Amino acid sequence: MTGFLQAVAYGLLQGGLLALVAVGFSLVWGVMNVVNLSHGAFVVLGAYVGLLVNQRLGLDPFLGMFVAAVALFALGYVVQRFVINLVVNGPIFITLLLTFGLELLLTQGMNIAFTANYQGIQTTYAGTSFAVAGVQIPVGRLLAFVLSVVVTVALVAVMNRTRVGMSIMATGMDRGAARLMGIRARHVYALTFGIAAGLAGMAGTMIGMVGTFNPASAGGFTLLSFVIAVLGGLGNMYGALAGGMLIGLVQALGGYFLSGTWVNALAFLVLILVLMFRPSGLVGKAFYSARLEV
Amino acid sequence: MRQVLEVHNLSARYGRVEVLWEVDLFVGSKEIVSLVGPNGAGKTSLLRALSGMASSSADVMSFRGKDLRGLSIEQIVDVGIAHVPEGRRLFPGLTVRDNLRLGGWRTHNQDVSRVVELFPKLGQRINQVCGTMSGGEQQMVAIGRGLMGEPDLIMIDELSMGLAPVVVEEIIDVLPDIAASGTSVLLVEQDVDAALTTAERAYVLETGRVVMSGQAGELLADPRIQQAYLGIG
Ligand SMILES: Nc1ncnc2c1ncn2[C@@H]1O[C@H](COP(=O)(O)OP(=O)(O)OP(=O)(O)O)[C@@H](O)[C@H]1O
Ligand SMILES: [Mg+2]
Repeated sequence: MTGFLQAVAYGLLQGGLLALVAVGFSLVWGVMNVVNLSHGAFVVLGAYVGLLVNQRLGLDPFLGMFVAAVALFALGYVVQRFVINLVVNGPIFITLLLTFGLELLLTQGMNIAFTANYQGIQTTYAGTSFAVAGVQIPVGRLLAFVLSVVVTVALVAVMNRTRVGMSIMATGMDRGAARLMGIRARHVYALTFGIAAGLAGMAGTMIGMVGTFNPASAGGFTLLSFVIAVLGGLGNMYGALAGGMLIGLVQALGGYFLSGTWVNALAFLVLILVLMFRPSGLVGKAFYSARLEV
Repeated sequence: MRQVLEVHNLSARYGRVEVLWEVDLFVGSKEIVSLVGPNGAGKTSLLRALSGMASSSADVMSFRGKDLRGLSIEQIVDVGIAHVPEGRRLFPGLTVRDNLRLGGWRTHNQDVSRVVELFPKLGQRINQVCGTMSGGEQQMVAIGRGLMGEPDLIMIDELSMGLAPVVVEEIIDVLPDIAASGTSVLLVEQDVDAALTTAERAYVLETGRVVMSGQAGELLADPRIQQAYLGIG
């Protein structure tokens, strides 16, 4: 019984972190209909930025994640503004191809810069844990979980309450109409992509703190982001949170009951099951459901 | 009368298909001008060309002295032209208030009171999600959203589309107030009677060309108009 509860606790904590990994991917897909295959590479790059500022400047990951967020935001903004914007109106196949190429470029670049060795960000506290009713709660994972929930809630608030958020939502719903309001669609797209990359960078630093990573981890994060985004409903940020928790739980319980190789297949099995009964995802439709182009 | 919008020899094409030829048009300050014509005449295309949504070429296309040629949609909005597009293009999942606020996004105008004054019905429905409103109410929101940016010209495409005549009248009656307060109106309208009764001047567009233009009253009395559009004679 304790083993089961332990798996549940671990799964929920991991799920929160996965939600932070996926929320930007979902946002980009929902707002501009781009499936960003380089998202996982942004996550890993964020982990390396967190690692570098930790090793060189001694920054704690909870400070380093802001450095990673800013760096990845800048990278994301530039990539969207000057590369993806060129083809964003094209068929989704073209953007898939482009972001796939970007992912290869980034992972290969990281291989050269950081080697393919597994690394982790060391802290004094992340590995420690405390017990609640016999269940061990790792401190690092708990902190990362809390951060993920806070960031997701904050993101929703930014989207619904601020001027920038309104412009992103409007552009996602109907780009042509948004432009008629004077909203700079290209800038908004770049901002959206930048925000998504920044969040990926944050998530990456957290992942580096609670575990290990290498450039080849990128593909796995993209895949999980895909599953979680579809589960939660495209562009739906709370949906990403719910989807992340579900996948975290499924993976942890799968690991508890089944042998290792089943775990990844389980995520997709859950995806198929959820979509059979709720085609628009766990939390229902995102506000971008009726998309119109100019 | 001071001209705000001035267009000479405008033509536009979709790919290789030309849809507008040698269009000359102007709109004066505080004026209401109607653009009428049969389906497919190019009325929507002309408005889209003017707001930068479709590319076009022209000898002159200027607004209050500023050259509009080559400007993006966003830049043309900045110059002070609002376009209420065909089909309204509201943000259906958002409330009336949020739609209106988005209309004032560029100018940081969050004050919906003027729009509510013009369309009192919207006052009671300010928190209603637009997708659930009647067509007439949606058209009011669309026009209100266009006015939120305090434009010098508002272009309205198919004001009456899908609306009952009483609702059309209710909305059209507001246009003179809008014009008097400094926003000129360029109205595309299938209902030629309503369009010519409200406007001071009008243009008749047929298969991409301006075939008639002049004072609305004179056009209304013209036998050719009466025969082709009003079913008289
Ligand atoms: N996106 C497009 N691609 C190709 N041709 C188009 C496109 N949009 C419009 N056309 C053509 O341009 C011509 C003018 O169309 P437009 O929509 O401007 O007419 P309209 O006067 O607004 O008609 P309606 O009264 O039906 O709205 C038509 O022949 C139409 O088929
Ligand atoms: Mg039309």
